[in-house]
Amino acid sequence: MNIFGIGVVFSGGRGINRYDDALRHGWIKPEDSGYHVKEESITDKRILGGIRRADRFSKMAVLAASDAVVDSGINFNKKKSSLGIIVSTAFGPHVTTFRFLDDMLEYGDRNASPTIFSHSVHNAAASYITSVLDSRGPTITLTQFAFSFHQALILARAWLYEKRCEYVLVGSVDECGTVMEYICRQKLRIAGDGRIKPFNFSKTPVAVPGEGSVFFLMTLEKSHKKYCEITAISLNDKEVEKNRPDMFILDADGIAGDEKEYQKAAESGVCISGYSPIFGSMMTGTSFNCAAAALMLKKQLHYACLVSHNPYNINLCTKTEPAQIRRISCIRYNCGGEKAVIKLTV
Amino acid sequence: MEKTNIIITGMGAISAAGTNLTETLDTFQRGQVNKKPVFEHRMSTLSLALCAVEEALNKAELKKRIEDFRVGVCLGTTVASQLNDVDFYHSYRSSGKAPMDSVDRFLKGNLAQAVANTIGAKGPRVTVVNACSSGADAIGVALSWLRNGECDIAIAGGADELNRIPICGFGALGIVSESLCAPFDRDRKGLNLGEGAGILVLEREACACKRGNASGNAPRLYLAGYGASADAYHLTAPRPDGTGLEAAIQRALSEACISSQEVCFVNAHGTATRDNDKVEGMVLARVFGKDIKVLSTKGFTGHTLGGAGGLEAVFTGAALLEGWIPASAGFVNQDDEIPITPVREKTSIHGSFALSTSLAFGGNNAAIVIGRGA
Repeated sequence: MNIFGIGVVFSGGRGINRYDDALRHGWIKPEDSGYHVKEESITDKRILGGIRRADRFSKMAVLAASDAVVDSGINFNKKKSSLGIIVSTAFGPHVTTFRFLDDMLEYGDRNASPTIFSHSVHNAAASYITSVLDSRGPTITLTQFAFSFHQALILARAWLYEKRCEYVLVGSVDECGTVMEYICRQKLRIAGDGRIKPFNFSKTPVAVPGEGSVFFLMTLEKSHKKYCEITAISLNDKEVEKNRPDMFILDADGIAGDEKEYQKAAESGVCISGYSPIFGSMMTGTSFNCAAAALMLKKQLHYACLVSHNPYNINLCTKTEPAQIRRISCIRYNCGGEKAVIKLTV
Repeated sequence: MEKTNIIITGMGAISAAGTNLTETLDTFQRGQVNKKPVFEHRMSTLSLALCAVEEALNKAELKKRIEDFRVGVCLGTTVASQLNDVDFYHSYRSSGKAPMDSVDRFLKGNLAQAVANTIGAKGPRVTVVNACSSGADAIGVALSWLRNGECDIAIAGGADELNRIPICGFGALGIVSESLCAPFDRDRKGLNLGEGAGILVLEREACACKRGNASGNAPRLYLAGYGASADAYHLTAPRPDGTGLEAAIQRALSEACISSQEVCFVNAHGTATRDNDKVEGMVLARVFGKDIKVLSTKGFTGHTLGGAGGLEAVFTGAALLEGWIPASAGFVNQDDEIPITPVREKTSIHGSFALSTSLAFGGNNAAIVIGRGA
């Protein structure tokens, strides 16, 4: 399936061009305790004006989804049922869930806000996306922690092959509130200098919590406008290293714990990169790395690793420069040691 | 795309109507609604799911053979997807610290992953979080997996426990009835929450034949079609003209390659809320005619949220096999605004196809067509 459009909301701003700028610019230390999306990045009244009650979680998703549609150049006004929507998330709108608990604890069970409750369900973001786009196709929100985005892609591919829809808007959204940051501090080693080190392959890696949303407009149509093609989404495929891509992007970001397994891909000699230091540690961070891969394949360009700490002297991508690239594989491990690979081809 | 039949080889159910399908059908047959609107055993979502999964696997004669096949697990839920432990949060709010036990439980408790780990399923697994249509949508996802060869067998459905958060949330929305719910009734006052799980074992026909599934000469059920659509209208209210639900139903019928006249009954979502029942009744009359046999089982089970679509798919399949549907518990008086009349007593059904509908927060609509083979 082909990527026709991409929308991104991240700590560095909004839009695929802004993401491209950030990848070229290099690493910038996060301003506070994590890679938070700035308020000014999610205040587009033209798009959000009709959904003023939406929370940050939904706003991030709506903007990334809308931008992916705009980026694709496809007009869905007359094809309301042809667009399917799949939203993946690891934790859903937990900030709103905790706001609802605040209400219960402060005002009692009978006086909590119905509006906050209705926003605390995982699929509120998808609902707002359908409203803003006036999309009437199938719409699903799913969660599988570290592999949420991978499962969303598998379903998107199935929908397209089944002709359940002509296009699928598939993406991820996760947020980082104060409670999640507390949990991260308890469960993970947080980098004091704000720097994630994807190539340390440590059993006790460091993490820096992040948040944001990425959406891709997918179709089976072929067109010169496409970024690239997703040719495989595999889970626990032991053969993956045998088909050498031109680059491995490692999703190592400290959030799943032990990162020793990533070393296997690194030792293959293939050019290695990883961009989590630009958006933060997130279980759905694969979607951001896929966006970086899609940009590189479209522009035929390498983005230099943002943090080039390289204790194992592996073949790191250290320069942002034109390159002939045909295939990139994004690799992620979950905390159970299971591996998922997304293969992108020009 | 390979054209393949997807067979239902096992079903399991646990709810206020019974702790397995036999008990449930007995409850339906007797028309015995619960004295209280909730399931009193109070189990965790995972326990409920595993209970129904075990029953379904036993029926499918698959329990000891899971590792021989690529078995996927796709389950819908609402409660189990949320980090909403009140004690944890209360402790964090009051002291800035909280023990991590509940977080650890949450991280180990992704419903599909936890079920897959417990039964040893090695195929794809995902948890669908589409609010009250989650269970039905999970069945739809499994159908897509099977058709696309992602797995040979899929365990699909939904589960949800009773939990303080939705009890409080639905109460705040003003749509909970203090008395037993009365779907489609003129005097309906809202829903009752319940808990439970409903699970289907879905299988590519070739796989079922190859492993010699034990249904022998008995009639087989199959998952004939699934349709879904978005309302693009409101976070909690259905689109008043019902076009979203109608689109989902039409897609399911189209996928099943049948006309509306071939559907012998509809297991409606029927929550007993004012807006939902009105829209659903209007759409069912529009698509199937006002004489279609309709029921809602929520008078027996309460609204089990993420579990509802799974439970109701099981009930729909069981009714096709049994040849009857139970009285739509709670219905007494016709509502002039609703053109359909739910069945008031145990009713024989004759036909090969039935439809189960689900509506959800967010404007999600899902419809499933289940067929009965010869």
